[in-house]
Amino acid sequence: MKALRVRRRPPGHGESGTPSRVWEVPRRALRERRGHLVRLLCWSFAEAAPSFAAGQAIAHALDDGFAAGRPLTGLGWLGVLAAAWLVGALGARQGLLALAGIVEPFRDELLRHVVDGTLHRAAALGTRPDNAAVARLTRQVELARDAFGSVIAVVRSFLFSVTGVVFGVLTLMGAVLPLVLLPLAAGLALFAISLPAMARAQRTLILAEERTAASLAGVVDGLRDVTACGAEERVAAAAGLDVERQARAARALARLTAVRTVALAIGGWLPILLVLVAAPALVRQGATAGMILGTLTYVAQSLTPALGGLVQGAGVNGVRLMTALQRISATSARPPATTGDAGPPPGSALRLRGVRFAYGPGADPVVGDLDLAVPDGDHLAVVGPSGIGKSTVAALVAGVLRPDAGQVLIGGVPVGELGPAALRRARVLIPQEAYVFRGTLRDNLAYLADDPSQADLDRAAEAVGMVELAGRLGGYDDEVDPGELSSGERQLIALTRAYLSPARLVLLDEATCHLDPAAEARAEEAFAARGGTLIVIAHRLTSALRARRVLVMDGNRAQVGTHEEMLAASGLYRDLTGHWDGTGHAQVRTPVAGLRHTSR
Amino acid sequence: MAASATSAGPATPAVPPGADGLLFQVLRRSGHWPAVYAVTALAGAVVELLLPAALGEAVDDLVGPAALLPDAGTAAGLTIPSGALLHCLLLVTVLVACDAVAVFAAGAGGAQAARLLRLRVVRHLLGAGPAVTRRFSPGDLVTRAGANTDEVGTAPESIITAVALLVPAAGSLVALALIDIWPALAFAAGLALVALVLRAFLHGTTAAAGGYQQAQSDIAARLIDALSGARTIAAAGTEEREVHRVLAPLARLRTHGMALWRVNARAGVQAALAVPLLEIAVIGVSGVRLAAGEMSTGELFAAARYAVLGAGIGAALGQLNRLGRARSAARRVREVLGHPVPAYGEAHLPATGDAGRRGTAGRDAGDHRNGVGKDAAHRNLAGRDVDDPRPLSSGLGLPTGAGHAERGRLELRDVTVRVDGRPALRGVSLTVPGGAALAVVGRSGSGKSLLAAVAGRLVDPDEGEVLLDGMPLPRLAHDALREAVGYAFERPVLFGATIGEAIAVGRPDGAARAAARAAAADPFVRRLPRSYDTLVDDAPMSGGERQRIGLARAFAHGGRLLILDDATSSLDTVTEYQVARALTEELRDRTRLIVAHRAATAARADLVVWLEEGQVKGRGTHQALWRDPGYRAVFTVAAAERE
Repeated sequence: MKALRVRRRPPGHGESGTPSRVWEVPRRALRERRGHLVRLLCWSFAEAAPSFAAGQAIAHALDDGFAAGRPLTGLGWLGVLAAAWLVGALGARQGLLALAGIVEPFRDELLRHVVDGTLHRAAALGTRPDNAAVARLTRQVELARDAFGSVIAVVRSFLFSVTGVVFGVLTLMGAVLPLVLLPLAAGLALFAISLPAMARAQRTLILAEERTAASLAGVVDGLRDVTACGAEERVAAAAGLDVERQARAARALARLTAVRTVALAIGGWLPILLVLVAAPALVRQGATAGMILGTLTYVAQSLTPALGGLVQGAGVNGVRLMTALQRISATSARPPATTGDAGPPPGSALRLRGVRFAYGPGADPVVGDLDLAVPDGDHLAVVGPSGIGKSTVAALVAGVLRPDAGQVLIGGVPVGELGPAALRRARVLIPQEAYVFRGTLRDNLAYLADDPSQADLDRAAEAVGMVELAGRLGGYDDEVDPGELSSGERQLIALTRAYLSPARLVLLDEATCHLDPAAEARAEEAFAARGGTLIVIAHRLTSALRARRVLVMDGNRAQVGTHEEMLAASGLYRDLTGHWDGTGHAQVRTPVAGLRHTSR
Repeated sequence: MAASATSAGPATPAVPPGADGLLFQVLRRSGHWPAVYAVTALAGAVVELLLPAALGEAVDDLVGPAALLPDAGTAAGLTIPSGALLHCLLLVTVLVACDAVAVFAAGAGGAQAARLLRLRVVRHLLGAGPAVTRRFSPGDLVTRAGANTDEVGTAPESIITAVALLVPAAGSLVALALIDIWPALAFAAGLALVALVLRAFLHGTTAAAGGYQQAQSDIAARLIDALSGARTIAAAGTEEREVHRVLAPLARLRTHGMALWRVNARAGVQAALAVPLLEIAVIGVSGVRLAAGEMSTGELFAAARYAVLGAGIGAALGQLNRLGRARSAARRVREVLGHPVPAYGEAHLPATGDAGRRGTAGRDAGDHRNGVGKDAAHRNLAGRDVDDPRPLSSGLGLPTGAGHAERGRLELRDVTVRVDGRPALRGVSLTVPGGAALAVVGRSGSGKSLLAAVAGRLVDPDEGEVLLDGMPLPRLAHDALREAVGYAFERPVLFGATIGEAIAVGRPDGAARAAARAAAADPFVRRLPRSYDTLVDDAPMSGGERQRIGLARAFAHGGRLLILDDATSSLDTVTEYQVARALTEELRDRTRLIVAHRAATAARADLVVWLEEGQVKGRGTHQALWRDPGYRAVFTVAAAERE
């Protein structure tokens, strides 16, 4: 696979085009699914039933029932409690489904964001994440979805449990409420204070773990190369740094978790002790044993677990959510759009004036001060060793890359001023790696055209030489699986697609490299006869022989002329013609093997 | 590195026998943290077990019939805490302290143990070298060095946690029975019921999860498809349309997602009801006993708390599973640590090849069977010497062979290598004079790459020996060997942060640049966003560009012997020509062993060795061998395989 390198970001734009968008996704999920949120809150009341009923039921069961010698009444109250638990369970179930109604669209939105950002970035920057990176991104989305759901669930459950307990204690024995709430507030405050540090530590650990995993995988993959270079010590030291960093992060997190344990203890245990300390005084004011027990039940059964859930949920899942969102935002923020809004240009003549392009400020220019005039209807071949910048020139002409200096004009209009639709109608660029998507052959062919007729399709297929393939694929309306096509077959489809496009300037960037020489000749001749301007980045020298003029790039300069002129003017061109025998096969005795595919 | 890995000094303890041996070693080497964790966790567990009883006692003390007497517990209006209350206070304080210390000890101890073990595994892997990948697949190794090592590292914590959880859970059942036998019986009956219910809920989840994952991977596959057409999409400006297409399975994902939620909701309800209903049953039975005067209020409270604690027995038993997992992980890590590490000697190569030559000259002269047309080689070298330019190596700052044409003499004597018990190279003997270029040809699977690996000691032969300038490779010191031999591969793996570091790997920058020029990599590297300082991760490279970096790295390293294992297969014709020229001109003072698929490459070499099924089928010049149709067939098959 050929790679166009990272493009320098336009000045004035940050690292990631629109960094804030992904952070709005959780907020928007809550705002836009208000109906589900209301349902969730309603069912939460039902879910909180046991936390409200528990203390009351225990108190009554004891005072009116078991302690009063009426065990049936006691059992009755316990039956009420069991019923409350059933109602609570139903509430939990329905609440979970309402939560699903918030979380699933959240996941959809996040996925949409990831797909949109990744595709736009790949298109704009020329770099694309590998398959493993795509898998990592989808995993991050799942992680964010689970964490988001769990954060909502625990925060809500905490709020409702506390409300239930407050009402329960209030109705049972209002005087003890401060004894319950003050330690709870203290514990919460301590937790809140430790939260930012905790979040940082957690995040550091997640990142350190990922780095160590990557570094281990690197060691395993590179064993042969590391041994061959004798670099065992260096690589072990580098991997050791990552291992040490992870251990440090884990230790720091353990320290903070210990602090969190104390916060939990203050909020959970202190109320119980305070109620016990105050018990004699409360009893003197008329509290019964059942009331004391009921209050203790509220704290032990509802408050402490809810607090634990909050601390765990917000502390761990909240950080996980933030980390996942950060990761998604870093890898899939959409780059700023760079097209203009001018209408289609009047012709397909191409003009390059002093065009300069480098992939970075510290990099040698790939294209330096390139002047080129290709009149309407011309046929130009671009020739040079691989990696010399031929694809960069094609991308500059197509307006996919912007020059650092100079101008690219199509039909006299600067290419940067053309709007997306005008650009699409002005020129078509077919790269080496032909893109065929899952869909019908018709959809694939009509990708760049305005609803072509059957006759148009047939004519294009005939011209480019795709008729036989179309027949083999079962006609135009059968589903195409790109994985089952050979590279050459994919290129034929892409070529026919370009042929059908309304654009008069056609750029073939080694778009025929997987075809055999005869098929390549047929396709190129079809485009030459199609009308308009044709620029072919040559994979075989025969492409140059077919062209009217040749542009030779040797890394230092670019020269244009006819085949004969270039033979006289360019040593490199002479070299190339000497080593390419035009058939695509090796001449065994020459010092350089014959023409081959430059990449696989 | 190799030294520290081989000399089993104090830094690298001997590999203990068996998985349990490794677990104990990890435990011993984690310092005092496991002990601290064990003490605090167990103390906390005991306190947790005592606390409900103490609370119950305090309740009885404070609100029981005795407390309701007029003067009880008060003096001058001041409440004096009862002994039971103080007891509770003490227990809670101890519990919280134990918890906090245990959390820290577990985290710090686990981190320390995992760190030590992981460093050891990494060093061992690097010491063992590529031979280890012949026994374990790369994915398997990553799991063993990653997740498995983690599990072993946290094994002490897991064991202690399991015990610490089991103590209160099992103790609660005893305590419950001690308070009163009836609530204990109710609890036992309820627990059996809960276990039955929980077993049922594992079933529904798997089916829904399958559909969800399918939809998920459909989206990922579509995204990967579209990304492969990024340039087409960029040129066509059809990003929005593509986003739409990729996300088409989203509706299906949602449907399966909702089904998954429903299954989870049902299971969650069952799980959420289990413990409270158990507790209610215990309270109910206790209440009846209370009404009968057999239990006090405090005992009822304690019984309820013990029921909740005791319901944790399932989780405690689940923890014991972790011990089983840790043992199997330990076994897997031990297998890696048990893989032998090749030892390096302490010898250095003679400054000139002559010293080594003298020792073996007699044997070479007499051994016609093994000599690879030595005379022919000399003729080739002599014939070429006339018009060759000065070697580049002097400019690279490498030890040059100028004046010592025999430096870099490579000998293989009766080398046999077995792969999976089958000989993949059989009794191969050959001699490459210093400074000569040897092409190794043969069909795929004939043993070419293995021969290349043996020649520079990436693999040790099972029988026979390999000598460089008369010195058996295992006797050479690590650095001496690796500075003398440079390797380039078909798919080089680059390491080091920047492109410059990936080429230099410890050599000076100047040498790296010169090597990059020889490998025709300099022009494209200088066009990267930050030239040689570009991060490797930020420089997407084609296969050919990556090969050129790999070649540059080899040129910067192999001072006497360059081994190119199909290392120019992805270069375009012009670039390959440039590299070939560097090899025959600037780098000609180094011995070159080139695994070749193309006839032109073999034609350029001084000598050719033709392998078939691990044996030397023919040797001589390319021109001489070309007369054999079997030899010619090697190249047509190779070409067909690569198309």
